[in-house]
Amino acid sequence: MKPIVVGTLESSDCMITLKPHDTLEIEIDSPVAAVFGAQIRAAIKAALKKEHLTNVHVLCQDKGALDYAIEARVRAAAARFKEVRDAS
Amino acid sequence: MHRSYLFVPGDAPGMLETIDVFDADAVIIDLEDSVAPNRKDEARALLEAFLTHHKFDHTAMYVRVNAVDETAWFEADIKALQALAIDGIVLPKATPKTLKTLQEVYADQTLPDVIALLETPGVFFQLPEVTAYPFVKGLMLGGEDLRQAIEAQKMPRSEELAMARGLIILAASEASIQAIDTPFTDIKDTKGLQDDAFHAAKLGMHGKACIHPNHVQVVNTVFTPDQKSIEQAERIIAMHEKTQSMRFSLDGFMVDKPVIERAKRTVKRAKQFKGRRV
Repeated sequence: MKPIVVGTLESSDCMITLKPHDTLEIEIDSPVAAVFGAQIRAAIKAALKKEHLTNVHVLCQDKGALDYAIEARVRAAAARFKEVRDAS
Repeated sequence: MHRSYLFVPGDAPGMLETIDVFDADAVIIDLEDSVAPNRKDEARALLEAFLTHHKFDHTAMYVRVNAVDETAWFEADIKALQALAIDGIVLPKATPKTLKTLQEVYADQTLPDVIALLETPGVFFQLPEVTAYPFVKGLMLGGEDLRQAIEAQKMPRSEELAMARGLIILAASEASIQAIDTPFTDIKDTKGLQDDAFHAAKLGMHGKACIHPNHVQVVNTVFTPDQKSIEQAERIIAMHEKTQSMRFSLDGFMVDKPVIERAKRTVKRAKQFKGRRV
């Protein structure tokens, strides 16, 4: 299964890459990770929980996205991930 | 009634987060033409999250959905909108038939206001059927698509759209709804925008769509009665109230019922936009 990529690297956005994985693993690449890393991680986890998705590797390349944008990008990626996974 | 309707792409968080700083009376978050086909789901998810977390007191919020003939996208857009608090829907390629489909898709839920975006030649022969739908509160000219459809070239003051503009103004006036002009597409030509907007306003348009934030101020200014017009309107109304006459002369000009009614409309619009930035 190819990685699912959603979002952009434009300012105020983030790019989410989802890949199948044995467990839930979250990798954050953000200029504000030192301050907001935990908050970004929590937003990603919350979005994945809503989409009932656990076994994935998440790469979040953040360009200053607010929580709602992170949630939206993760949920869109998760929905697309499930669609591709279920079709294959 | 709104003077300016600013289109904002639905898939750009950086632009969505600034929509209330440009002083547009209304914003149209776009899920249609400005969103790439492979990113429709991303834009829809972003719109849902954005409108769930942001409330706007002074900016009306509309969403342009995908056209009815893009069935899957259209139905997914409508499903998402049904859970959101918005002021209205902009329906592209609107016709009596597509408006009926919109009504059916909304089923037992109350439709928000709808602005019918008119951009196909045939619909201009069906305007009374379009305005017969009670949820249609505005007619917007989609100039670019219409030009393409009729193979017209853009002229300095959009003279090629004169008939379409005229029909929209007449139909909107008859139905007491808003006539909204097509956006001016040259982002840097402020003088051209001003001329085009003045022309549309003089024809009878009530407001104008904008595709760039820099256009909002010019459009707001053009569609707000200026001080001279307000003062003249107030003089006409004062004279009418003083004389209780429907026919008198003022400054050498004849004033009768239509002029008095227009003066009242000018004062009403001035009051509506008083305190709002232009």
